[in-house]
Amino acid sequence: MSDATLTLSPAENAIQPQTQVNGHDPSVLISMRNIWKTYQMGTESVHALHGVSFDIPRGEYIAIIGPSGSGKSTLMNLIGCLDTPTQGEYWLNGKNVSEMDDDELARIRNQEVGFVFQTFNLLARATALHNVELPLIYGGIGSAQRHEMAKKALTAVELGDRMMHRPNELSGGQRQRVAIARALVNRPSILLADEPTGALDSHTSMEIMDLFERLHSEGNTIIVVTHEHDIAARAHRVISIRDGQIEKDERIR
Amino acid sequence: MQRSGEEQVQPQRFTFARAILPARIKSFPVFRVTAVWEAFRVAMASLRANKLRTALTLTGIVVGVSAVIAVVTIIDGLDKTVAQTFSSQGSTVFTISKNPQIITSREDFIKFNRRKDVTHEDAEAITRLCTSCWRTGIAANAIETVKYGNQKAENVRIRGIDPITMFDIDGVDIDVGRIWTESEGDSGREICVIGPDMLKNLFQDAPADQAVGKEIRIDGRPYVVLGVLEPLGSIFGFSRDNVVYIPYSTYQKVYGARRSLIVFIQVQEAEQLEEAEDQVRTIMRNRRGHTTDNPDDEDFSLETQDVFLNLYDSATSNIYLVTWVVAGVSLFVGAIVVMNIMLVSVTERTKEIGIRKAIGARRKDIMTQFLIEAVTVTAIGGVIGVGTGFGLAYVISALIGFPLLISVMSAVLGVTVSSLFGIGAGLWPAWRAARLDPIEALRAE
Repeated sequence: MSDATLTLSPAENAIQPQTQVNGHDPSVLISMRNIWKTYQMGTESVHALHGVSFDIPRGEYIAIIGPSGSGKSTLMNLIGCLDTPTQGEYWLNGKNVSEMDDDELARIRNQEVGFVFQTFNLLARATALHNVELPLIYGGIGSAQRHEMAKKALTAVELGDRMMHRPNELSGGQRQRVAIARALVNRPSILLADEPTGALDSHTSMEIMDLFERLHSEGNTIIVVTHEHDIAARAHRVISIRDGQIEKDERIR
Repeated sequence: MQRSGEEQVQPQRFTFARAILPARIKSFPVFRVTAVWEAFRVAMASLRANKLRTALTLTGIVVGVSAVIAVVTIIDGLDKTVAQTFSSQGSTVFTISKNPQIITSREDFIKFNRRKDVTHEDAEAITRLCTSCWRTGIAANAIETVKYGNQKAENVRIRGIDPITMFDIDGVDIDVGRIWTESEGDSGREICVIGPDMLKNLFQDAPADQAVGKEIRIDGRPYVVLGVLEPLGSIFGFSRDNVVYIPYSTYQKVYGARRSLIVFIQVQEAEQLEEAEDQVRTIMRNRRGHTTDNPDDEDFSLETQDVFLNLYDSATSNIYLVTWVVAGVSLFVGAIVVMNIMLVSVTERTKEIGIRKAIGARRKDIMTQFLIEAVTVTAIGGVIGVGTGFGLAYVISALIGFPLLISVMSAVLGVTVSSLFGIGAGLWPAWRAARLDPIEALRAE
């Protein structure tokens, strides 16, 4: 790749076929098998998800859509390895995540998942550069290489000239781009965005969605969780969730 | 013993670390420099950002540490001063006297007063018969008013000694002038060597050489000053330089021969002390025709300078203990303050913890971050506390009047202990932070 310095493509090894694990197709990045998530509310059991199954291949741009209370947040937390299912198996990049403990999940989040949140969730007191470096710090990467990688990531989202700014010195769109740079700096398997345009005006929203499209074209696997249909419409595949189950799973492009 | 081949094929590599450390602790983040450095950076930034909070926390620790340091330093200084004072004669000296140097009850006083006086003859017998003894001397004390012109010094210890080696046994040195010669000492002439306090009280702080040759009056009698002693300093406000030495022959002439005196015996090496004591004890018993195995029934007192140290120890140990406890409690309160503030800090930064966990911080990373924050603030507090503690000790030592002993040891100890308190106080808040559920934490505002 000639323009490697300006792109945020997934790690080379992520694209290469992996060795077969438990009979998995190496082109399948995410495999959810009969996932249940049950919360105990006093004496009552509430099923946030019941029996959700789907596969996501590498390099897909997918939207998960559903009204509030549909279970899409729960699903997002599971995909993002912030939580484990009550029942069922979740395979991410050949690893069974569903059985992992807290620290193993942290490791997976660090290496495999890049989060983009509705409210950006940047560290207010840290510069853009430091915010982007954060995943690398927890990944144990030395400071010289870390700086290099973070600068590249910020340049790729066109914030090369704002690296030493703190979040409160940046616009909403710029903040979200810092968050995207942070999400991608570790070259994760998936970019997981939770209502990424929810806090942005429509013009900035379009910019961010354009950026997602570009990142997808560079080979990133992108999952956007949203309740807005026009955001979901930018994806290539839409999974609709209702009452803890998959209502629809359709390819739209 | 026969071993099966199978056992030999599988050598079990046993290391201490493997034996005691579970697998997860081996990768404790102390060894992960990046994460620790990040934790330190975050800690410093957070301490800078919350200045009032930091100041309050620091105050708590500073008060505790400086209390401990001041107490340690003052006790150290007093102990060393006392030890030095009473060992200026060294651990090679012991005394024979009628009364022990410390009498604790009226009954004892009466009992001791029934004893025979210790005489010049006793001293001579000891000098002659004790083979382990190096040198002996006699001394007797009186308290008098001393005058020079219209200047007056009261409560001066007049110490009659013989021979002149008593100066050495007493551990005093001549500063200016000279001590008397042997023949002068035997002559009964009115000559004296004065302690440096006399310069201050009688000669208005004149240089020592101006006092030499002058005539002072002790209880109305004129004495010629031959020399001035080097200062020994004071202890607990009692000057040890408020003294005038005169020859024992003169003392005897003025105060009479029938006063009990103290025999000083010095051995060359401290190891000989016990043997010399035994010999002297036997000599004294023979002279008194009084044998007993009970030291309480003895007709004389044989003492080393340890009696003062023991008395000092028993008098002060309880006071020290209480002081220690008070200082310790204030350090403990400081630790509680730190814990409190850390809990607030964790609550305030729940969101931040959520973000960090979401992007891959493990429990130990979060734990380290908050522990380092607690340790950083307590270590800084420790350093400041050591400084103010020494300052406090300096002021108090200047007021009481004992030399200040700044020990690097107690400084290091102060910082270490406060850092340990930091770990102790930070542990629970850090654990709470580390255990936060990332989803819940991200939801916090």
